[in-house]
Amino acid sequence: MDDDALIAAMADGDDTALRELFARHAPWLAARLRPILPAAEVEDVLQESFLAAWRGARGYRPQGTPGGWLWGITRRQAALWLRRRGPSGLPLAVLASHGGGQPVADPAEAAVSRAELAEAVRALGPEGSAMQEVWRLMYVEDRTVTEVAGLTGVPEGTVKSRAHRVRQLMRSALRQPVRDGGER
Amino acid sequence: MNVEISDVTRRFGRTQAVAGVTLQTGRGVFGLLGPNGAGKTTLLRMMATVIPPGSGRVRLLGRDPGEYGPRREIRRRLGYLPQNLGYYPGFTVAEFVEYFALLKEMPPGRVPQAVATAIERVDLGGRARAKLRTLSGGMLRRAGIAQAIVNEPELLLLDEPTAGLDPEQRVAFRTLLRDLGERATVIVSTHLVEDVGAACSELALMDAGKIVFQGTPDELTARGEGTGAAGDAPLERGYSAVLAAARSATAAA
Amino acid sequence: MTFGHEMTGDRDDLPGPGQGRCPRDVDLHRVWLGVAAEVWRRRPGPVERLAGRALRSPGLARALVTTPSLLLGWVIASAIVLAAGMLATLGTGTPFVALFAPAVAAAGIAYAYGPGIDPAWELSQSMAVSYRMVLLVRVLVVFALDAALGLAASAAPGAAAAVTFGWLVPMTAVSALALATATLTRSANAGVAAGLAAWAIMVLSVRSASGQVTPAVASSVLVPPYLAVAVACGAIAWFATRIPKGTS
Repeated sequence: MDDDALIAAMADGDDTALRELFARHAPWLAARLRPILPAAEVEDVLQESFLAAWRGARGYRPQGTPGGWLWGITRRQAALWLRRRGPSGLPLAVLASHGGGQPVADPAEAAVSRAELAEAVRALGPEGSAMQEVWRLMYVEDRTVTEVAGLTGVPEGTVKSRAHRVRQLMRSALRQPVRDGGER
Repeated sequence: MNVEISDVTRRFGRTQAVAGVTLQTGRGVFGLLGPNGAGKTTLLRMMATVIPPGSGRVRLLGRDPGEYGPRREIRRRLGYLPQNLGYYPGFTVAEFVEYFALLKEMPPGRVPQAVATAIERVDLGGRARAKLRTLSGGMLRRAGIAQAIVNEPELLLLDEPTAGLDPEQRVAFRTLLRDLGERATVIVSTHLVEDVGAACSELALMDAGKIVFQGTPDELTARGEGTGAAGDAPLERGYSAVLAAARSATAAA
Repeated sequence: MTFGHEMTGDRDDLPGPGQGRCPRDVDLHRVWLGVAAEVWRRRPGPVERLAGRALRSPGLARALVTTPSLLLGWVIASAIVLAAGMLATLGTGTPFVALFAPAVAAAGIAYAYGPGIDPAWELSQSMAVSYRMVLLVRVLVVFALDAALGLAASAAPGAAAAVTFGWLVPMTAVSALALATATLTRSANAGVAAGLAAWAIMVLSVRSASGQVTPAVASSVLVPPYLAVAVACGAIAWFATRIPKGTS
């Protein structure tokens, strides 16, 4: 059964569908959460997320993607969890990344967003690839096109078109955070 | 020592079902072998506090099952799978396991988690909410095992637990047995010798109400060597040899 | 028992939506057990919760609400029988309710008992909540329920108090007899048969002796023998449930 059918079955009260859905999706959801939460809390968040999925299965619309739906539920649960623990609970890395002591509206949301961002950046290509370099130089280090061209030794036109490509890739990766069986 | 039985007898009408059995065992898996009518089930029922002994002394989990208070304490820590376990056809697997968890006086807060754990341990997770009447014989037996282990018993008594299980399930069951034997005393009664031989650290062989052999599976195997006794496998041959010897000894006496 | 295997993400064949094996220190099996515990749990109804608090035992409460003769169908059937008796009484003047009530109770009480209707009888004998407790509570509740139904059906205006309440005494005797028979023979059906037969014989002998049936339920002369029977049968049932018999 495909994921859509499983969720429909879940909405009908079929717990074996939930079991199958869990077997398929819990591993990668756990992998996503692990960078922002300790292992024991990943377990707790996953448990709450799948229970939320069980209760909310009726609200699932098949034109969404099952993976995206599950991730949406999970990230909400993760943010809830982080919020409940308060600022002292947030991973140091998250706080450090907001250097300069800038207060963030919702550090919990930010932490989860950071995980999504990191994964989108990974989608640009392996470390050191052309796209990753452009991303790092232009958008993280905030350099001009001329500086990047000089540093990487390629014409400015090439830098511009690569930057355009990076924006395209990031946009689509962040809009649809999950690949589903290659139907991107 | 979780089980201490000394010189126990039990008769039903004219039949002497158990004719003087002495047994002691601690943690681990203990096999109770013997032909039908040997008295295994009666012995197991006595250990399950279902019937009292006719004579002799029984101590279970360090307590005397003859008194109400200790007996209740024993029963809270006991798991029992009778040979013929009836089922409530309208119950689901989860309801069935939960029913006995409650009757074993488990704290209600712990029950849902314990029920889920027991059901997954016997690989019935895909059938938790299926009604018992829809289950095959092997699945029903596994549901029976689940209710026996739901309270993580210190003393687990299983009477013919593998009835109806296919070979793959029997292998999984032996793994489960070994797992359970690490923290509890597990006593398995069966007439399928090879089935449990591999999982048991100790065996007793009963015949006509008495124990005619007690020792390790290797020792039982050794008894069968060179005797030309019947059997396709080493343990079976040991089993036949011991039975034959015991019966001829009785005949001669 | 191979379930844990799937949980570690060993299934490469599935098109996983995102990348990533489960991290080694995350125990997905434990997570699933937590989910399953919530999804599979049964939530007791208000009657069971109340009974659990009153009896101070959730197990006893559960055993009570699963009594065959307390199931809705049975209760409705009992109510119908007694209602029919009430109508018949209004029509003919013969106190049918008083005659039916003991029979209904005898059947209900015999069917609160184990072997023959409780398939997991042997297992129940090894439970911390003793089967005797279960039986006691079931019998009392069935009796109380049938008494209440009977009282409701016999509260006809103008009827003599002896007739309105008098049947409670033979009801006790007949129920006790049904229970004693059931526990001795280890058969609920035998208990029902004995109870109904004894009551029928009683009513018919009274009628042939005095030409009426009312004395069977209203005569104060019969009260001591009824009570004696009730006590004796109660003792027998108590003793019969002390040591379960076995056949192997």
